Amino acid sequence: MILLPYRITKFALQNFWRNFWLSVITISMLVLTLLSINILLVFNFVTDQAVNYVEDRVEISVYFYEQTTEEQLAGAVAYLRSLSQVRDVEVVTAQEALDRFIKQHADDEEIMQSIETVEDNPFGPTLVVKAESVQDFDFIIQALENPNYQDLIREKDFSNYEEIISGIRGSTERVQWFGYGLTAIFLLIAILIVFNTVRIGIFIHREEIAIMKLVGASSWFVRAPFLLEGIIYSVFALLIVVAILYPVLLTLEPKFSSYFGSTIPLMDHFYHEGIWIFVSELIALILINTISTGLAMRKYLKV
Amino acid sequence: MIEVIFHVRRINFFFMIQLKNVSKVYPPNVIGVKDVSLHIRPGEFVSIVGQSGTGKSTLSKMLFAEERPTTGKIYIGGWDITNISDQDVPLLRRQIGVVFQDFKLLPKKTVHENVAFALEVSGEKYQRIKKVVPQVLKIVNLSAQADRYPYQLSGGEQQRVVIARALVHRPKIFVADEPTGNLDTINTREIIDLLKKINEFGTTVVLVTHNREVVNALKKRVITLDNGQIVSDVETGRYRI
Repeated sequence: MILLPYRITKFALQNFWRNFWLSVITISMLVLTLLSINILLVFNFVTDQAVNYVEDRVEISVYFYEQTTEEQLAGAVAYLRSLSQVRDVEVVTAQEALDRFIKQHADDEEIMQSIETVEDNPFGPTLVVKAESVQDFDFIIQALENPNYQDLIREKDFSNYEEIISGIRGSTERVQWFGYGLTAIFLLIAILIVFNTVRIGIFIHREEIAIMKLVGASSWFVRAPFLLEGIIYSVFALLIVVAILYPVLLTLEPKFSSYFGSTIPLMDHFYHEGIWIFVSELIALILINTISTGLAMRKYLKV
Repeated sequence: MIEVIFHVRRINFFFMIQLKNVSKVYPPNVIGVKDVSLHIRPGEFVSIVGQSGTGKSTLSKMLFAEERPTTGKIYIGGWDITNISDQDVPLLRRQIGVVFQDFKLLPKKTVHENVAFALEVSGEKYQRIKKVVPQVLKIVNLSAQADRYPYQLSGGEQQRVVIARALVHRPKIFVADEPTGNLDTINTREIIDLLKKINEFGTTVVLVTHNREVVNALKKRVITLDNGQIVSDVETGRYRI
């Protein structure tokens, strides 16, 4: 029973080696397609990490007047914590605010002198509010317009991170669309090249195919090596892509991490998700190859 | 399962080959064969003769389903192959050995490999290939050339390799379409002797030729075609055109 699969594999490998350069070109095109897809995936992962990193650091500082009582402040904290959009509220008391300010400007004599001239603590308590997501800040700012607290608040400081993040997302989307376009072009070229490779393969082996038919080989036996050849191309292409990606990601991970000032777990992602990503890519590639080979055989291989 | 079906289909060998009112028309309206009816019994040696373009090759190609008739019926060993399915064609061809004028050998394979190829692609086991190939090479007298490549052989030897390849399935029918067309007199005689030998083993041989000397020397049944029609069918015939 294993004889036929063995012989089909033998014929497929023969086809592969006899048209070596054609096989190399076909595999190269598949590698380019896979690389562009994987670069897109890495890019998505890194930008997601970057956006998360930025989002994680976005916060609103709500400065209260110094005369705000502890009860009023506790009420504001409870109110903010009751909002589902609020992830965390940190309370900085007036004294802590002063201490932080002094610490921050310890080297600035002018500021230190002016602080000393003011007898009372000029700072009021501050609430540092973190949102669940960057889109929630608008809601939180609106919520702070609540008449119960509005008059207690001196200032709300919200750096415009949303713009930064939407800027990142905007440019990410543009790059993504470019990547999708490039992948689609590579995919189309790959399909055409596979089609052409099979067509040339059929042409080169026309005598052999004619003899096979004459001596009673089943049409499945004639077709199978061409289909298997497509699978061999896919496997080779994937192995090459993995061999390229692994050292590249290994090199890029520390660079990304130092750029963003936080760990970008690129290799972790590669180790955990890589197997599924590559298996899915292999299945997709085999499917594309099979369809392309099938079309070429339908047109050129009359068995 | 396939084997069982084929054995059932092989049971009726009273008529090895039977054609009933077979015509073949190529588009738009070119007649290949016109209303041909004939019976060939098991073990017969039949020469189909006629000038070029009279439908000899079309007729022979219909025997192994390379061409399908436009009308009429074709039976091989009782099996109606008129509308044979693509799946069944390989089964039919393993029962019919076919030889053409052009040798159709694989240049990068040795004599042994060329002959073994027919068994390999049909899924035969290596033990059987190892056993059968030397046997058929012995029949065609090419045992000594087993490791040579086609380009190292004469035309006659190459045609004998093709015959050996057609014999490995132990066919019941042997169709030779102008097998001596490219050969000199000596090689022609060798090939015809070989076909006679194959016939003596009990195989039905259908020889398509326009070689007058070959047909006259054979002294076997001769079917003459003209304009796609049978104009004579003589038991011990001669070439008369």
